[in-house]
Amino acid sequence: MMTDDGVQIKGLTSASSDMPEHVAMRPASQVMDLNRLGSFHQSRLSFMRTLVRRMVTEDWQISSSLFELDEQGYGTVVFTIKAKFGTFSFVVFSHYLPPESRNDRVIANQWDLTMALCEGNVDAQQLSFLSENVPKQEAGRVDARVMVLSRANRSGRTFDYMVDQLARGEQPDLDVMAQVGYLYRTTAAYGSGKLGMADWEKVWTKHKDFARPFAAEMFTCYMLRHFSMQQVEHIAAHRSPSSSIKLDSNIKRYIGIGNSTGLGMAPFLINHPLLINQWIEMREKALAAVLSAGEMGVSMTLVEALKKLVDRVIQHLTEIYTEDARQDAINQTIIEQLGLLGAWLGKSGTELSKMKNAWTTLVTYAEDQWHVETQEVINTLLMELYPDLVDKFEESMWVDESYEAIPEMPVSRLVRLIEDKYDWALAINFAEEESQGVFWYRSEEKMEPRLGQVHIDLGMDKQMPLAVGRRVRDCYDQLVKYDNDSPGQDVAHFILKNPTYSGIVVRIQTMGQSRYGDIRENLIHKDVLPIQLLRCKLSFFGVSKFDPRSRLWVRNTMFQGAPLISDFGRDDGDNWQFPIKPRLTSSSTL
Amino acid sequence: MNVSRNELSAALKKAFEALGFEPGDYYDAADMVVWLQTHGFYGLDRLQAALSYFNTNVPTHAELVREDESTFVLNGKGTSILLCGSEAVNLVTSRAIEGGTVSLDVVNCFNRSFVIQRLLKATRRNVAFIAYWRQHSHAVKVSVSPSADLPIYQLFTKASHLNEQSLRILAGPSIDRIEEDYSWELSLGDSHEEFSSADMRRCYQESIEHGIEIDQDLWCALDSLATQVLVESNDGSRSGAGD
Repeated sequence: MMTDDGVQIKGLTSASSDMPEHVAMRPASQVMDLNRLGSFHQSRLSFMRTLVRRMVTEDWQISSSLFELDEQGYGTVVFTIKAKFGTFSFVVFSHYLPPESRNDRVIANQWDLTMALCEGNVDAQQLSFLSENVPKQEAGRVDARVMVLSRANRSGRTFDYMVDQLARGEQPDLDVMAQVGYLYRTTAAYGSGKLGMADWEKVWTKHKDFARPFAAEMFTCYMLRHFSMQQVEHIAAHRSPSSSIKLDSNIKRYIGIGNSTGLGMAPFLINHPLLINQWIEMREKALAAVLSAGEMGVSMTLVEALKKLVDRVIQHLTEIYTEDARQDAINQTIIEQLGLLGAWLGKSGTELSKMKNAWTTLVTYAEDQWHVETQEVINTLLMELYPDLVDKFEESMWVDESYEAIPEMPVSRLVRLIEDKYDWALAINFAEEESQGVFWYRSEEKMEPRLGQVHIDLGMDKQMPLAVGRRVRDCYDQLVKYDNDSPGQDVAHFILKNPTYSGIVVRIQTMGQSRYGDIRENLIHKDVLPIQLLRCKLSFFGVSKFDPRSRLWVRNTMFQGAPLISDFGRDDGDNWQFPIKPRLTSSSTL
Repeated sequence: MNVSRNELSAALKKAFEALGFEPGDYYDAADMVVWLQTHGFYGLDRLQAALSYFNTNVPTHAELVREDESTFVLNGKGTSILLCGSEAVNLVTSRAIEGGTVSLDVVNCFNRSFVIQRLLKATRRNVAFIAYWRQHSHAVKVSVSPSADLPIYQLFTKASHLNEQSLRILAGPSIDRIEEDYSWELSLGDSHEEFSSADMRRCYQESIEHGIEIDQDLWCALDSLATQVLVESNDGSRSGAGD
């Protein structure tokens, strides 16, 4: 195949006739590699996408029942949300924060905004209680009527700029907005029972509107986005009542919420392996269904839709600003490789449409020839083409996370199970010093997870048991020895003699029954990239514009491009993946 | 004060970890406490008693001292079921799953009520259990059917023949089969009190709706224990968090 510019895409030719009728899901050995997981992007199954779909199609009614902001934008606002099944309140406290006190780290104790999502309507008494506790965040206590607690800081680059522009009657420069993309950065969104809040079980069983993982947390960020735009308009209107204007709707859609995610998120992926397995399994099932849909060729409409999406991703990546050389190089590679794909689709799309196993052929080619992140972009785009095949999995993103011991399992079978499912762990040479170069621990500062260097940092004796590979290896060695010494015994007897291994044995037995199992990475290698753990989870959240600030934390953007509340009830709200710079609406064009 | 279930569970895990429990053990122990508390069995009061033991004793596991075709005896060596309950239930399950009935005694152990949660969890392996033990002047009997979500909890009058610090677990394919095979020892006198499934459900729903009430001092004690697994912070360590 030749692209428009004459570049040949070798191998992207007619599919072999011996392709399976139904495309198999990708194997764990491929998917659970951390480098690949760290290359995932937002998909139709990401939690922001599913939340927005629900809000738009169910036409949630959101209005402010209290809007008491002074001319500087400080004060209290309460939004009332009438969702399909219930009523909720989103409470915002806006405070003055000296710029020198602005800190995005978990260890901060002051913020520009603090927020709470509550069940039902909030009365004066509860509002008073919230005003005492919500601004304190971790230092306060709330109750089980609260579902999410969050906080955010103004962007130093855009907030005042935006107010200035609107006050003088001008829309913001799109290049400035493209570089930043938000007015506020949220630094945490706590749910699941933290600080006295409602347990996930309560949310899941009582509040159907948020009965999906992280739906309430994502909604809180969405409401922050909505508030941020109201606030800048409010301040601008008070500053210059005669000249100020409202934000252009297309620019509004392009404004997201900034997010800084650090190591605090990393242990979640290791401590919730069944949930992560479930997310990945649903994503892979959706992908396999999509690839199967291309078995007998695909329509030109779909090929053209893919071409448009490819072009969009190229523009999106071109508009990303990152100082991280590694990510920037990857972005350039994706742009280049998607450029080849886009050109080829433009010229030879007809040929692709007639191929048997069209999508499988494309994906296989990408796997053979292109960067892993390009591969995952293509997978994500293909899933965009088949809402009917993909969206049905959104209701299956939760799973009972209890581990199941199998005490009657013969020790010899457990040994074989490890050899089969944890071959990646057995392949790690832990005798090499660098393979155990770091350790994970919790700091006394807000219990923040941190990465320490062996022989340099304090805390090795209190390390968290996140090194699954190392623990599996140790357990395996002990099992083999025990099986030699006491042949024919079962796991129950092994644990009695070796209680230290009870936790990892149950984990192995549980994850051994799952399709994808544990993340395949030595998390204590000196060169481990925790940022890939963060990216994996963030992709399931649905963020975009990854901007790594080190190997330990990443900036990103939430809900950029998403529909506004005023868009709810329309049916065109689910096409906001890979946001690109907007055009101004005609009435706002200067 | 009220705390959420998830919050209590996290605090307990850290506290047990600080007390020297291994991964796995502290997960199980936290699950046991939370289940009892949320189902009306005063798990936090029982935890107070357990903490006074663990604060002065190194965590000790039970030891298998006798085993034959259908009988196990574990020496608890004075430890808590929080630490040896999982091992005991695993052991008896591993044999009962073959289809027969099996007995297991844990002698010299404390906090026996915590075993209820482990038994319930193990019923997912399609095994039924009856456990009983002496509590003051009466006998506690807990029965759980295969795949049950709640136990039958009864108090009986006849307890003087039971050892004060022992726990007996019987396992088999069904409650009826266990009752039949061990009828001679399950005559525990008159049943004078039962904590119904409805009561357990009500307690559980209450804990989910409003959180779990916990004594402030106990919460502080757990918090204080948890600090023992935390590492001192300094400028160098902050760089390990992304500074």
